[in-house]
Amino acid sequence: MARVEFQHALDTLEAALQDLGTVSLRAVRGALDALESQDVELCDEVIAFDDEIDDRYHRLEKMVAQLLALETPVAGDLRLVLAILHGGIHLERIGDQSVTIAKLTKLSATLQQRAGLVEGLHEMGERAEEMVRVALDSFASRDVARARSLVELDELIDRTNRRVAGQVLEFVDDPASAEWGMRMIVVSRCIERIGDNAVDIGEQTEFVVTGEFREFGDASH
Amino acid sequence: MTTPEIDRTRLGALAEPASGDGRGDDVVFDVRDLSVSYSGNVALKDATLQVRENYVTAFIGPSGCGKSTFIRVFNRMNDLIDGARVEGTVLYHDRDLYGDGVDPVEVRRRIGMVFQKPNPFPKSIYDNIAFGPRVLGMKKGLDERVERALQSAALWDEVKDRLKENALGLSGGQQQRLCIARAIAVEPDVILMDEPASALDPISTSRIEDLIHDLKRSYTIVIVTHNMQQAARVADMTAFFSVEVRDDGGRHGVLVEYDRTTKIFTNPSDRRTEDYVTGRFG
Ligand SMILES: Nc1ncnc2c1ncn2[C@@H]1O[C@H](COP(=O)(O)OP(=O)(O)OP(=O)(O)O)[C@@H](O)[C@H]1O
Ligand SMILES: [Mg+2]
Repeated sequence: MARVEFQHALDTLEAALQDLGTVSLRAVRGALDALESQDVELCDEVIAFDDEIDDRYHRLEKMVAQLLALETPVAGDLRLVLAILHGGIHLERIGDQSVTIAKLTKLSATLQQRAGLVEGLHEMGERAEEMVRVALDSFASRDVARARSLVELDELIDRTNRRVAGQVLEFVDDPASAEWGMRMIVVSRCIERIGDNAVDIGEQTEFVVTGEFREFGDASH
Repeated sequence: MTTPEIDRTRLGALAEPASGDGRGDDVVFDVRDLSVSYSGNVALKDATLQVRENYVTAFIGPSGCGKSTFIRVFNRMNDLIDGARVEGTVLYHDRDLYGDGVDPVEVRRRIGMVFQKPNPFPKSIYDNIAFGPRVLGMKKGLDERVERALQSAALWDEVKDRLKENALGLSGGQQQRLCIARAIAVEPDVILMDEPASALDPISTSRIEDLIHDLKRSYTIVIVTHNMQQAARVADMTAFFSVEVRDDGGRHGVLVEYDRTTKIFTNPSDRRTEDYVTGRFG
């Protein structure tokens, strides 16, 4: 096969995406742990860790720019490079969502939690993490069917997210928990957005494989 | 959140990608099952494609796949090669290009050609351009015709003060634009270009490419190029040819894929096209 060096550069780029995925997932896990245990120190770690994610994203972006400038990839190669760039952007956003969760957790660390809601958020968080993993794995294996399965997983998260506001309304008259509840509505929304980002990465898998870009499910997540 | 119902019929132009500038509506060449052989050896087999009006159509593919053979079919240049045989149908504006009563000289006036190596006559710049029109009896307003051709070929400003000088004194890039001006001077319908920039430096090359963009407003252009980025930059449609090896060990060219240039370079349908445009060929 010709263009051995080029193929090597593509492989390196793809490894960089998976690496970015790994660190983004670490941020998600940190934010979720901090949320449950109201651990302020861990929140600070998650917030600081975002620089690490941003650095990796910028390195990825630079590699993409170089590859486009020097190798002018076309056809399947071009689609792969573009999809990696998109995937990278979504992973970087997942890092941002984790930071927002950590900041909100910090703000509400001394407030009274509600066990039922914490459990719901915990479950949602686990689903979101799983989705990011599925998104990364199906991208690596170019498995469109698996990438498409993200739509159903996302639906579960969306449903839980919609229930959260209702749950908070139930205890909003209790001054001890009201503020915490309001903050948790935003946290829930952040987790829901992580799921959306995973779906977006799934769409990139389809783009790489088929050359078609289609939004999975409805456009309004 | 629910998806709002969007009535696409009311979005008008927003819903439909712009159809462009009206180029490409008509077919200039309708080629069906074209095969060309030289002294019995098949060079190109069963090619079918349509060249659209005011489009730039690029032919790409490895050496020996029959690109030059094909492009020479459009202006019957193969008639000049001993032993060359053209089979199949070639319609030019719905008329059989190889039919009885078609005058190959008239064909070559309507369908001009620019070659890989600039080939000006060893005469003045003016006479190079004026030669064709003179031969064809277009003697009225010859000066204006020469100027217009040189303007269209983006060469006028560089040569207007030295029209009487020998054309061989021009640079390679200028000579090539002179040859394009020479082709334009007889008011052709189609301009064929066989690797017009392969002997030029990058600056001259991009001037030729700019020129092609300008010329497609008035002419239909078919270009053979080995520079894939060039095809990607200038062409509306791209045809990819490849070499097929027969059981008897012989080789002939085949048309593998013909589609919009953007499709060929972002999402080709055939594996062989993908391998070629991504540089994984061979
Ligand atoms: N005048 C000729 N006489 C005999 N055979 C010819 C002639 N011109 C071309 N051929 C043969 O026809 C086949 C196609 O050649 P052609 O020149 O059309 O290829 P091409 O795609 O233009 O290649 P390149 O990219 O090298 O210019 C080759 O096998 C070639 O040897
Ligand atoms: Mg040739």
